[in-house]
Amino acid sequence: MSETVLRKPAVLASAQGGSRLRPEGDRSAFARMVIACLCVALVATVLFSLAFGASDASVLSVVKSLIAGSDITDNALSVRDRIIIYDIRLPRVILGALIGASLAVSGAVMQGLFRNPLADPGIVGVSAGAGLGAVSIIVLGGTFLAPVIALFSLYALPLAAFFGALIFTLVLYRVATRRGQTSIATMLLAGIALGAMAAAYIGVLVYVADDKQLRDLTFWGLGSLAGANWVKIAASGPLIALALVISPFLARGLNGLALGEASASHLGIPVQRFKRIAILTVAAATGASVAVSGGIGFVGVVVPHLLRLVIGPDHRYLLPAAALLGASLLLIADAVSRTIVAPSELPIGIVTAAVGAPFFLWILLRRRGILDL
Amino acid sequence: MIHVSNVSVSLGRNRIVEDVSFDAQAGAFTVIVGPNGSGKTTLMRALSGDLPHEGVISINGTPIDRLKLWQMATMRAILPQSTSLSFPFTVREIVKLGMTSGRSGASRHNVDTLPDEALERVDLAGFGGRFYQELSGGEQQRVQLARVLCQVWQPVLDGQPRFLFLDEPVSSLDIKHQLIIMQIARDFADRGGGVIAILHDLNLTSMFADRVVVMHRGRADSVGTPTEVLTDDRILRVYECALKVGGLPGKSVPFVLPQSAVL
Repeated sequence: MSETVLRKPAVLASAQGGSRLRPEGDRSAFARMVIACLCVALVATVLFSLAFGASDASVLSVVKSLIAGSDITDNALSVRDRIIIYDIRLPRVILGALIGASLAVSGAVMQGLFRNPLADPGIVGVSAGAGLGAVSIIVLGGTFLAPVIALFSLYALPLAAFFGALIFTLVLYRVATRRGQTSIATMLLAGIALGAMAAAYIGVLVYVADDKQLRDLTFWGLGSLAGANWVKIAASGPLIALALVISPFLARGLNGLALGEASASHLGIPVQRFKRIAILTVAAATGASVAVSGGIGFVGVVVPHLLRLVIGPDHRYLLPAAALLGASLLLIADAVSRTIVAPSELPIGIVTAAVGAPFFLWILLRRRGILDL
Repeated sequence: MIHVSNVSVSLGRNRIVEDVSFDAQAGAFTVIVGPNGSGKTTLMRALSGDLPHEGVISINGTPIDRLKLWQMATMRAILPQSTSLSFPFTVREIVKLGMTSGRSGASRHNVDTLPDEALERVDLAGFGGRFYQELSGGEQQRVQLARVLCQVWQPVLDGQPRFLFLDEPVSSLDIKHQLIIMQIARDFADRGGGVIAILHDLNLTSMFADRVVVMHRGRADSVGTPTEVLTDDRILRVYECALKVGGLPGKSVPFVLPQSAVL
C-alpha cells in the first residue's frame, strides 16, 4: 500500500496558505481557481490557434473580426485571411476543442467507472470498437451499408462509431467486472483481446477497400484534424456536446463509486442506472470523436491523471477541468502537428502518442502498487 | 426498529442464511457474533439491501424492498469491513462523501464543519489534509467510520430513529481505538439511534451490547442479553472450542481485558 503514497502536491500547500479559513484537506476552492485559469487558457489557445499558421493574421485582428461578426465591411482582416480563418481554421479549432474535451472527459468518466486510473477508451479497446464501426461505414457505405447512409446521411458515421464503442464498452464491463469489483488485470487483457478483434475485422475491411478508401482510412487511422469542416462539426458535434453536457451530472455518482459499488448504493446512488448512463456517455464521446478524427490516443489518460495530482479526484471539479485542459492540449498538439514538418503536416495522433505513451509508462511505474491489488 | 423475520439468503445455490429472526430496537446496541462462515456478513448484506432475501426485513415498519436507495440512505449508514481507493482523495474529501445523501441532520451552520467534527470523534483530528492511501489500515477504517457517521449524524431525525450497521468495526484497531469506536456506537444508541455490529471480540460484546445474536451455520442459534447467550456450553457448541466464561488464566500469565479500562 505504501507504494501508492502520493506526495502532497506543493500547489496544495500554497493554495491553503492563501486562505487560512479553509479546513485542511478541502481542495474545492483551489479547484475552482484552477478551473478559472483553465478557462482563460482555453480562450488564449483558441485565439492563438486561429491566428497561427501559414498565413499569419495578428491575434488582435482575429479578435476584432470575431467581435464584429461576419460583417464584411470591417477591415480587420483581408478577404483572404477571412476565408482562411472562417472556413479553414475556425472549424478546425472548434472540432479540435470539442474532440480534446470529449477524449479527456470520456477518459475521466471511464476511469471513475472502472475505479482505475488506467482505464482509457484508447487503451482498453473502446476506441478500436468505435473505429470498427467507422471503418465499416467508410468501406461498406457505398454498397452493403448504403441503406444506413441513406437513413442517417451525415450522422451515419458518428452513429456507427458510437454503437461500435457502446458494444465494446458493454463487453469490456461484462468481462472485467464481477460483483461490483473490476479486476484491473482482466480489464487490460480484455482490452487487448477487443483491440485485436477490432483490428482483425478492420483488416478484412481494408482488404476489400478500394484505393481512395484506403488513402482515407490510413489518414483517418493515424488521427488527424486536417479534414475539419463545418459538415463534420454538424455530424459529430451534437453527440459530443450531449456527452459533455451530461458529464457534470455524473460527478456525484462517480465520487460515490470511488468507495465501491456497495458503498455507493448505501449512500443512496442508484448504481445500476448510473452505470448505464455513464457507459452511454463514454460511448457517445468516444464514438463521435473517433468518427471525425480517428485514433487520437492518450489524451484521456494523461489529462485526468495530471489534474488528479493538482486538484484531486473529486469529479465535480475533475470533469469540467478535464474538458478544458483536454481542449487546450489538443489545440496545442494540433498547432505542433501542422508546423513541425511544415508545409506538410503530421497527423495529430502521432504527436499525442509520442508524448502520451511515455507518460503512460511513467504512471505505470509510479502506480505499480495499485496494479497489484 | 429493524425487524428481521424468517430471513433466508442464498448465494448461487448455497443457502447461507436460514430462517433468521430478531429485532434490533432503536436505542439498543445489537451485536452479531459467530464463527467464520456462519453467515454474519451475508446477513448484514441482506439487511443493507445488497442481497435479495426471503422473509421480511423492515426499517421503522417499512420493508426494505419497498424503499428506494436514497430513502434507505437517510435511514441507515453502513461501515464495510475495508475500503480501498484507487484515486488520491484526501481524508476530508472521503468523510465529506458521507454527506452525499444530504440528510446528515446537522444544523445548517454545522454542515461545513461536520467532517472535521466527525474526524475528531474517531480520534483523527488534524488528519483532514492527509491522503487516505497513506494511512494505516486501522486509520482508514476510522476515516470510513467518520464518513458513515456524517451520513446519520443525528441518531434521530424527524422523530424517526436511524441506524448504524458496522461490519467488524474494530477488527484492525488497537485496544484504545477499539474502545473509542465501541463508545461511539454505544453513544449513538444511547441518543436514540440503533446499532447493529458484527464483532469477533466476545469481551467487547459483553461489555457494550444490549442484545447478542449468535449465528451458527447460517441460523440464529440464540438471541438475548450477553449474560443469557454467552455460556460455556453454547461457546463450545458454536465455536467448537472449550472455553470457560469468567475463567481466569494461571497466576503467572498476564491478561488484559477491555473491561478493565477506565472510560
